[in-house]
Amino acid sequence: MSAKVKIIERKGVSYNEKLFLVEVFKGMRVTLGHFMRNFLDNSKLYVRHYPEVQPEISPRWRGRHRLTTHEDGTVKCVACFMCATNCPSHCIMIEAGERLDGKSEKMPIRFDIDLLECIYCGYCVEACPMDAIRMDTGIYSSTSSDRQSMLKGIDELLTTPGAFTEEDYKKGGV
Amino acid sequence: MSQLDILLIILRVAFGAFVPLSSVALLVWMERRGAAFFQDRAGPNRCNIMGFRAGGLIQNLADGIKLAFKEDIIPGHITHKFYFILAPVLVFMTALISFAVIPFADTLVLGGNDYVMQAIPLDIGILWFLAVVGFGVYGIILAGWSSHNKYGILGGLRAAAQVISYEIPMGLALVSLLVVYGTVNLNEIARFQGQLLFGCIPMWGFLLQPLGVVIFIVSAFAETNRTPFDLAEGESEIVAGFHVEYSAMKFALFFMGEYVAMFVSSALIITLYFGGYQIPWFTTETLISHAKPVALVLILLIPVGMYFITGWIKKNNLSHYIRLNDPRAREAKVYIWGFWIFTLVIEAILLALLLFSSGGNTTHIFVALLQIATFLLKTYAMCFVYVWVRWTLPRFRYDQLQRLGWQTLLPLALLNIFITSAVVVALS
Repeated sequence: MSAKVKIIERKGVSYNEKLFLVEVFKGMRVTLGHFMRNFLDNSKLYVRHYPEVQPEISPRWRGRHRLTTHEDGTVKCVACFMCATNCPSHCIMIEAGERLDGKSEKMPIRFDIDLLECIYCGYCVEACPMDAIRMDTGIYSSTSSDRQSMLKGIDELLTTPGAFTEEDYKKGGV
Repeated sequence: MSQLDILLIILRVAFGAFVPLSSVALLVWMERRGAAFFQDRAGPNRCNIMGFRAGGLIQNLADGIKLAFKEDIIPGHITHKFYFILAPVLVFMTALISFAVIPFADTLVLGGNDYVMQAIPLDIGILWFLAVVGFGVYGIILAGWSSHNKYGILGGLRAAAQVISYEIPMGLALVSLLVVYGTVNLNEIARFQGQLLFGCIPMWGFLLQPLGVVIFIVSAFAETNRTPFDLAEGESEIVAGFHVEYSAMKFALFFMGEYVAMFVSSALIITLYFGGYQIPWFTTETLISHAKPVALVLILLIPVGMYFITGWIKKNNLSHYIRLNDPRAREAKVYIWGFWIFTLVIEAILLALLLFSSGGNTTHIFVALLQIATFLLKTYAMCFVYVWVRWTLPRFRYDQLQRLGWQTLLPLALLNIFITSAVVVALS
């Protein structure tokens, strides 16, 4: 088998290129074009005016986590520890307890996600057999002034709403 | 010494000291907004006082306050504290005093006395500039050495080698220029460029020395340590080079020194090659004898210019997203009012000149002001070229820099001297 050889044209050997000046002026013409366009009408800038104009988040975006519930409001999670086992950064801490609502045998009494540890890989979502944890809240910016508030407990995970409809999530996600 | 003499000395020294200093703010703003526009972004445009952002100028104020209140650290490992503190002072002071010999208007004649419009009325002009600027690099070398840091040392070494290589072509380019002008006095050089070539083209230096101007501008970029020759800084290779150990106002002095040096070398390039304070086709004598028609033309032109400027403000000082009662539109309205009031004041002054002046001192002052405005306009245009080049060209590699300096610019500069001398001898 012969290796594929791609010959790349070598730049910078022609007389004009060695002279620098011609190429310098060519480059300066390009940048001045950009400058004048933006200077004369700054609505043409290629930027989003960020805090005011938010980006559009796709349903496939892995944002902050949430725990899903059954229609009657009970938590879907059965404390099987699949997500915590799969988690490469060990940011999920679960404590299982007895379940009394008849859905299954176990439920989490503590379910903490440390957002400072999380690497947003989404393995927990893939591992979950009950579709109980999702990353579809569309929250991409988590900031805080202290560490403690970055540790999200079960109550907050349950109350954070999803940002997309069930249909969109199914289409874009799994 | 009369009171007028003292007043004019104060005015000229103040101009020489404060114009480069206040230009720092303007140039930093020009650099940051310019960089942003070259790269299709917006640049600093949020910082404001009561909603007034002045196009981003307020950001400089915030940066300045931040730098002034930061902790000024002298790292414990530095043994030569005196040199460590001396270095930024040296960089800044040399940059500032090298502006002192640059004429910003033609010699002002008031009541029979001549006043040379330079902060220091020296005859040696360009020699003073070369001496002082050459001294400035000691600041960088001292900073690198006294930082006792390998990046600092490398930055200082690079600065030293670079300045040695580029002072020579710069000096040689100047030699051929001086052959043409026959003087080292910058004011006489500027006045020389007021003549006309073949009776129709202004006899500016870059027409007489097309090769010299390229060599000089390239060397001036290297002298001021600006991209593409900012190897002494080289943030991608040696972190920040010579000022890596500096913080707070000592860093700010380096930073301001860089911009002052940029302003001064722009002013020098303008003075040597682009006619200095000369308005093309209007020498000082023409302006003085035709002051009234010039004033009339200005009265007609200034409102037209203002119309376009205010239109531009109205179009661009807007929020480009949906916003209720856009505060930026209100801001723009205030600016437009300000600009029109400013225009009215200038118009009134010009009208007074047109109606009540009978020649003499008023005319002379009017012409001097016109020339100062021209000088500043040209200098800022050249500063824009500095910014423009910085955001276009990547940094040279060290060996490329030396090769360009020694193998290209030096022989070209020598050739230029040879050709220039031959032509001058043949013509005389």
